[in-house]
Amino acid sequence: MASERRMSKPARTDAVIIGAGASGAAAAKVLCEAGVKVVALEKGPWRRKESFGGDELANINRYSLWPDPLLNPRTWRRDTSDEARVDLFCPVPQMVGGGTVHWQGWLPRFTPDDFRMRTVAGDLPGATLADWPITYDELEPYYLKVEWAFGVSGQAGANRFEGPRSGGYPCPPMPMSRYAQKFHQGCAALGWNAFPTPQAALSRPFNGRRATVVSAFAQQHGDPTGTRSSALNVFVPDAVATGNYDLRPDSYVRELVLDGQGNIRAAVYEDAQGETFEQEADIFILACGAVETARLLLLSRSGRFPNGLANGSDLVGRNATFHEYSAAVGTYDDPVYAWAGGGYVSASTFQHYGHDESRGFVSGSHVAVAGVGIPLPINWHLPGAPSWGAEAKKIDRDYFSHSLAVAMVLHDMPQHDNRVDLDDEVVDAWGLPVARVTLKPHRNDLDQGRYLIDRGADILQASGAKGITKVYADRVTGNCSHQHGTARMGKDPDASVLDRWCRAHEVANLYAVDGSPFPTGTGANPTLTIMANAWRVADRIIAERGRARTAPER
Amino acid sequence: MPDTFFDAHQRATVEAAMARIIPTDDTPGAREAGCIDFLERYLSGLGYIFAKPDGSGFETLEGRSAEAWMRRVTIMRQTYRSGIEELDARARAMDGVDFIALPPERQDAVLRAIETSGGDDAPSAPADQPALQQTSTEVELPFLPLLVTHTRQGFYADPIYGGNRNQAGWKTIGFPGPASLAEVHAGRYTTLPYFADGEAEKVKEFHDGL
Ligand SMILES: Cc1cc2nc3c(=O)[nH]c(=O)nc-3n(C[C@H](O)[C@H](O)[C@H](O)COP(=O)(O)OP(=O)(O)OC[C@H]3O[C@@H](n4cnc5c(N)ncnc54)[C@H](O)[C@@H]3O)c2cc1C
Repeated sequence: MASERRMSKPARTDAVIIGAGASGAAAAKVLCEAGVKVVALEKGPWRRKESFGGDELANINRYSLWPDPLLNPRTWRRDTSDEARVDLFCPVPQMVGGGTVHWQGWLPRFTPDDFRMRTVAGDLPGATLADWPITYDELEPYYLKVEWAFGVSGQAGANRFEGPRSGGYPCPPMPMSRYAQKFHQGCAALGWNAFPTPQAALSRPFNGRRATVVSAFAQQHGDPTGTRSSALNVFVPDAVATGNYDLRPDSYVRELVLDGQGNIRAAVYEDAQGETFEQEADIFILACGAVETARLLLLSRSGRFPNGLANGSDLVGRNATFHEYSAAVGTYDDPVYAWAGGGYVSASTFQHYGHDESRGFVSGSHVAVAGVGIPLPINWHLPGAPSWGAEAKKIDRDYFSHSLAVAMVLHDMPQHDNRVDLDDEVVDAWGLPVARVTLKPHRNDLDQGRYLIDRGADILQASGAKGITKVYADRVTGNCSHQHGTARMGKDPDASVLDRWCRAHEVANLYAVDGSPFPTGTGANPTLTIMANAWRVADRIIAERGRARTAPER
Repeated sequence: MPDTFFDAHQRATVEAAMARIIPTDDTPGAREAGCIDFLERYLSGLGYIFAKPDGSGFETLEGRSAEAWMRRVTIMRQTYRSGIEELDARARAMDGVDFIALPPERQDAVLRAIETSGGDDAPSAPADQPALQQTSTEVELPFLPLLVTHTRQGFYADPIYGGNRNQAGWKTIGFPGPASLAEVHAGRYTTLPYFADGEAEKVKEFHDGL
């Protein structure tokens, strides 16, 4: 655009939250309900539930919800000697609600050991395992708060490996799918513990919302009925109701700028018309997702922070972990309809979750049952099957309703050189350097992955599957849309970016509340913990403000 | 809104190739499902990219999204133009006639020859990989994997996009898709009857649609 950029300055506010996804909306709800004035700057649109539909082609193949890779590319390379190529690495929808807009929402809790994996497993050469600066017990009350805000459907106590709970789930488990039934049968035959996967969906009416309709269009589809639970239809309305939430969609933050004291003075953002604004506030909370949070810090260079904001330690972007979703796929004589409910109304086991020295690798992960692939017809595909011709058609016909996947959420190890930084060639549609992911699997990731896929195959076999195909993961591709670790929290400012309250060691009014503070990725779906942690940090911010207000003037 | 792109020969050629990708047997194939009409609409421009979620028509694209889609459609049009030429060139080299004049087995031979000439570097169709939660980047695909992808989309996508005529694709594999997008949008579509025996009955009181 040839015209000169105008810089407008909207009124100063108490807190700016950047990103209105899972964590940003959770923090907003808590802060706004405590009377804090929040301006939320969200890059994407604010879509209402009426704009979503049961359209596999639009939602999955044509980027109606996923970021369009021509506009928001990322790059990936294996290591620094490799050339980075454009890759939609670990995409998450960019819009109000973020990744929760089109999830099914498996919401397991992390285990107590997840918070001290370094102590439990010791030093793993090549990895940078670290204990968290907080414990399960500290987070536990916040798990319960999120579970009750969302109306999570689950069965307390059913996961034998879960930590202590101060309360049960607000809704009973979702109805039993046929594929979950197979999984339970298989685990029972093996003597393994299994439990209904806790879901961000309503098994019955809750809090004025009706029970989830259980459409086939769920995972990777937006919800036109508002009956699944997401940041968009729970936390955002809660925050809006307070009158303290100024949510500005289509507002892309390009940079955070400092004042003379080294605090952040303003977030610089661009709206849909290309106009630039400077939003000032007392505090700034990053909630962009772990990849984009690291990118924004690295984009915010200054004399004081030449390598990116709060990055004196050179740790911003490092130790990135992403999980990996892979499975053993089984076929059955009887129909399992593993597309019903979108294919993710599931059952889980943590039998292979905890660390067990005798297995020869560190840790383990959540194993659960799902449909094959998306799993609706367009994107359903039996591994190993031909892609076209009479045989391909026959396989579609014979197995679409007769197959399921026992999948893992690989607990990949943090490594110093696995990182997010700025690409030096590729820019996005706004002209900003994109996130470049450098990622090589640790031996432990591959070993653990093989072990878990083999256990999945055991479950298939024990439940009567007649055909079994194992899909081992040979690298971490980001296909989970889970991202963590890029701004580790910890006690030591030389070994972490954030303190235990997720405040930057080097910048007093900067916080991050998405997955970036996680020192380890753990083996479970992260978002319950992301939201619980955001709630915890928001509570701390409220307490600190209260203290400042009542402190005697000096 | 235009809803065609190919000339008559191009159309017949692609339709014939699609009929080998999802052949007709005792159940309908790509031809009966109208996969070619699905593809014509897609390549015709920006008029049929996103259906309105209630099924009442199609969205109008604007701004950056419109630019990205025009880029994509332009790339795919070129992939098809040269792919069709390749089909004919190989058919003529093998049997001296255009692709559409070949019997089905010889058409398969042409498609297989293209498939094996792809080389190791060529990205394969999403359908060639374990499709565990991957998003598609179909615009980068070479001709044959792109055609396979679009044939599959035309067979199984919601009928509003021009294929899956009379839900032929869904019926073939036994997917009880919604009568229309409006059913999903209004919350009337549920798959609870396909859960374990007796489960839908237990929650009947919470669901009008059951
Ligand atoms: C299909 C799918 C299924 C999933 N299923 C599960 C599941 O079952 N269980 C589970 O635990 N997790 C699941 N996830 C992952 C979950 O969605 C993420 O963990 C979660 O959304 C992360 O929350 P967040 O707040 O860190 O980031 P997000 O929810 O990604 O939100 C970040 C927001 O910040 C915005 N943003 C980024 N950069 C900027 C900027 N510079 N300026 C302004 N705004 C910006 C983005 O547009 C986005 O809206 C799933 C994800 C996907 C895609």
